[in-house]
Parts: sequence; structure tokens; C-alpha cells
Amino acid sequence: MKRIAIAVAFALLVVCAGCGKKQTEQASAPQGKKKWIIGMSQCNLGEPWRVQMNEDIKQAASQHADEIEVIFKDAQNKTEVQQAQVREFIQMGVDLIIISPKEARPLTQPVAEAYQKGIPVIVLDRKVEGDQYTCFIGADNVKIGREAGKYLVKLLGGKGKVVELKGLMTSTPGQERHKGFMEGIAGSQIEIIFDADCQWLEPIAQREMQSALARFPQIDAVYAHNDPSAHGAYLAARQEGKGREKTIKFIGIDALPHEGVRYVKEGILTATFEYPTGGKEAIETALKILKGEQVPKNITLGTRIFTKENVDKGGEPL
Amino acid sequence: MDTSRLHRFLEKLNDYRGVIAFVVVFTLGIIFSPRALDTGLPIFLSWQTQLAILYEYSEYGLLATGMTLVILTGGIDLSVGSVLGLSAVLFSLLTIGYGWSVAPALGVVLLTGLTCGVINGSLIARFRMQPFVATLAMMTAARGAAKLVAGGIKVQPGGQPWYVMQSGTPPFFQWMTTALPGIGIQPSTLLFLLCILVMAALVRYTSYGRWLYAIGGNEEAARLSGIRVGAVKVLTYALCGMFAALAGVLNACRQDLGDTEAGMTYELDAIAAVVIGGTSLMGGRGGMMFTLIGVLIMAYINKILSLNAVELAPRMVIQGIIIAIAVLIQQKRGRS
Repeated sequence: MKRIAIAVAFALLVVCAGCGKKQTEQASAPQGKKKWIIGMSQCNLGEPWRVQMNEDIKQAASQHADEIEVIFKDAQNKTEVQQAQVREFIQMGVDLIIISPKEARPLTQPVAEAYQKGIPVIVLDRKVEGDQYTCFIGADNVKIGREAGKYLVKLLGGKGKVVELKGLMTSTPGQERHKGFMEGIAGSQIEIIFDADCQWLEPIAQREMQSALARFPQIDAVYAHNDPSAHGAYLAARQEGKGREKTIKFIGIDALPHEGVRYVKEGILTATFEYPTGGKEAIETALKILKGEQVPKNITLGTRIFTKENVDKGGEPL
Repeated sequence: MDTSRLHRFLEKLNDYRGVIAFVVVFTLGIIFSPRALDTGLPIFLSWQTQLAILYEYSEYGLLATGMTLVILTGGIDLSVGSVLGLSAVLFSLLTIGYGWSVAPALGVVLLTGLTCGVINGSLIARFRMQPFVATLAMMTAARGAAKLVAGGIKVQPGGQPWYVMQSGTPPFFQWMTTALPGIGIQPSTLLFLLCILVMAALVRYTSYGRWLYAIGGNEEAARLSGIRVGAVKVLTYALCGMFAALAGVLNACRQDLGDTEAGMTYELDAIAAVVIGGTSLMGGRGGMMFTLIGVLIMAYINKILSLNAVELAPRMVIQGIIIAIAVLIQQKRGRS
């Protein structure tokens, strides 16, 4: 019995290995007319935002399907896997690499290798060190936080009690969204009465919000560093059973179509601020580079606010 | 004479270390509780906070309930967090995506959890895999299955254009998480309490319960005394899987969506709760009511830290220290 099990497992393994090989061969084989091959290394697909980034890239690339083909790789949140992926792309001889790095330092070297071999590299969202890449495209979290702060000042008439549900505070986006927000509310009488590090996670935000609700009879607004946390805070208020979810204003960041934007549509969130994925811009920039046009070294993406009034028109640029 | 009585008293006390720890933590809660701004009373003591604590930990509680059974046999189940995630996604997909009514969806989800458990149990009992390895494989596979089933996104109304529910979840979601009028307790909390009480009775008063202890105490002796060790193990892992599935349903209702990442690392919290309660990881010692205490201790610690808005880093250190102390206490008992 044991031997059978081992044999079956081994057979499965061989079959799987075979399948995997066939697929990659197919993917890298040029089909008919010469197309530019773009390699895209995504640091992980566990976060909806990154799924959306790939979606945006796919969407933009499909409009130029006769010119380019994108090969997607998921590094599953492992730095060494992503390093290997960049080198695989170099070996394959792709025409351009798009990378959204997990970690700046360890990926600087592989990216530089590609760049020095003449393969243009577009770095998305998170930076690598030095200047051995073609173009960086990213959003400005400080600005987004600041806009959220300024909006809240306006919304509450310059004064009020606010709960801040932070993202992971050892991560740069968390720090910047906090810093920007403090700048945005500076000079107003808005007071942060409770804050917690929710590590971007909705269940934790829900729990922390319950504590805030237990402690403070008066809460005017919740500023959450991402939409799931804002949603969790809303649910905590609803589950408290005092109807406070109707009086507290919930504000989030990210504005993914299936998350934040929909929450605004349903009246759960008062507002959400877009953290753009840059997927579309990456493809546009890639095409320019491949056609020999000059592109800036740094492209900073803007943000948009979604509220009940403008959500059907696709938000309002800030 | 005197010393032996003292000895017996201490031994008795030993059995209830979990209870003592519970009382200590509860007292700490009262001491360190911030006071309500309107009434000036410690928030920790309020009925509302106590209910919130139970409610927030009902998922962990269900996982720990199943985990206790497994640990009593000397095994471990690392897959419960992933099975929770798979179930949350599946339940949301069936009700929100396909518009099924709650009862059949619940049936399918529980059956899925049961199947995961049976696979775990079979790998362990039939194929002699180590519980750690077998359930590690299931942990990975079930998490992948959750992502596959969901199509890589969170399952919520309007998530896909073809979902039957485009806005608002089925009423069941809100019902589970809203306090029942009259008693003021959420159905999901009641479900957890019911499950753990039933299992406590089962472990204490039935032959199944005695088999668990026998297998955990000495598997070979249990086998020689005529207990069908393999069958009991499969049943135990199956029950554990089913409780994880039930926790998944609770998670979906509580979050109002099916998150593919739901339950990530929850297995560790469940194991910690069981161990803190006083059930031995070696098997054969402990019980279900100890686990209830363990869950409450974890929940209280978390709530005290959260109410005081303690920062993440010190919070994690404190939690780690408390778990270590609980394990130390256990080792001492093992030696005596």
C-alpha cells in the first residue's frame, strides 16, 4: 500500500513537471509576426490590489495585442523567487521587464543586470536602489494621506474626534499615509482619540474598532489606511447595535473597483482615495520605450477621490 | 501527615493552573482597563465588552474546540486556518455568487470541511504520515483551493458581474452577527458556546472521549485493548475539519465577505489557546473546558492591550511571553 502511494505520488510529480515545461515552452515561443515580449514579475498575488495591477496591465496590453505580449510571473512574496524571475527573463531574452519588487535592496542587483544587458526595466510601485533602471512609476502615499486629511477637515467643519486605523507601521505606505494625514489635519481642531496598527487586515481592524467604540461614546470619523480596514470598522460599528455606523464617517484608501469604490456606492464609506496601480501607465510607458521614445526617469501618479456624488462618474482627480 | 495533605492540595491546585491564570488575567483586565468617559466605570467589566470578547474569539474558539480533540490524541492539525479560509470563500460563493439558500450552502461547506479532515485523518492513520506533515500539506492545498474557488478575489456582492447578489449580503450574514433581542448575544457566539459545551460533554461522558485519552496516553496500549485507533483518529480529524468549516462560515458572516486570506495563522492561535488552557501537546491530558479557559485568556489579553491602544511591537512581545509562561507551567506539571 505504501509503495503504491509513493508510486502514485511520483507519477503525479512527473506528469506535473511535464505540464509545467510544456506551458513555458508555449509561452515563450514566438507566434507568427514578431511581437515584443514583456516580462512582468509581480511580488505577490495575495493582495487584491496587486491582482488589480496585473488586471490593469492585461487590460492595457490587450489593446495593443498585435504589438506586445506580456508574460506574468508571481513571486509569491519571496524575494529569492523574484530575483530568479528577473534572471529568467534575461535568459529568455525578453524585450522589456516590468517589475513590482517585494524588497528594494535584494532586487537592485538583478534589475541592474538586465538594464546593463540593454533590457529596459520599468519598476512599479516600490523602488529599487540606485539608478540602474529605465523608469520608476509609483504613487505618492504622503499626498494621498494629506488629501484624506484635508477632506476630513472640510467634512467635519474643522473639528472632531477621529479614530485612525493604520496599516502595518513598519511598512513605508503605512508610515507615509499617516504622515500625510497629520499634515492634512494640521492646524485644525481634529483630534485623533484612538489609533491602532491593523497591519492592513480587516479582522484586526474590526477588533480594534470595537475597542475604540467601547471607550468613546463620541466618534465622528474613522480614517483607515486601506478600504478593508474601513469596511471592518463599519462592521464593528454596525455589530455594536447602537446604530453608530450611520453617524460615523468612514474614510478609506485604495479605491479598488470591487472594494472601496463599491463600498462608497453602497454608502458604507463616505469617501475613498485611489492608490493607482500604475498598470495602464506601465504598458503605455513600455510601448514608448520599445518604440525608441524618451521617457522620464520618474513618473508619479496622481490620486482620485470617490464620494457618493462622483462615484458613478469615476471619481474626481486631485 | 500535614505535608502529604499540603502536597495533595498543591496537586489539586496544579490541575487548575489554567483557572488561576484566568483569574489573574481577569484581574489585570480590571486594573488596566480604561474607564468609560460617560460613566467612569472600567470598560473591561461592562457586559458589552465581555460579549464583544466572546464574539471576537468565537472563530478561534471553534478552531480550538476541534484542535483539543486532535491534541488529546497526541496529534496536531495545522490545516484548520486554511480550511477556515476555504469554507469562508465557499460559503460566500454559494450564497452570494450562486444565490443558494443558507441551508444547502451550509451543508456543502460542512461536508467540505469534513472531507478535508477525513483526508488528514486517513493520511495519518492509514498511511502513517506524521500529523504535522500531513496537515501541513492540507494547509497548503486548502489555501490554494480557497484562492482557486474564489478566482483570486474576495467573494463579496458585485465582486463578479455574474454573481446573483450584486449589492448586500444575504440576511443570514447580518443575523449571525447581530445580538438577538432579549438575551443580547450574537448567534455566532451562541454557536461557539454550544459547540464547545457539547464537545466537553462528549469528551467527558462517552466512550469516544475515553478513547481519545487512551490513544493520547499510549497508542499501543490503546490498540491492544481493542480500540480501533485508526477509525477514532479519522473521526477526530474529521470533526476538527468540520469545526474549522463552521468557523469559516462565522468568518464570512463577520466580515460580510469571503476572504481567501481568512484564517491565515489562526491555527497557531488555536494551538496556543489549547496549550494555555493546560492540555498537553503530548496528548492524553487536558480537556475541553480547559480550552474554553485558554481561549478566554487569549481573548482577554488581546482585549486589554487593544483597549489601551498598546503599540503592535510591545503587544506581540507580551503575547509571546504569556504563551511561553503557559508552556513552562505545563512542563513543570509533566515532571512532578
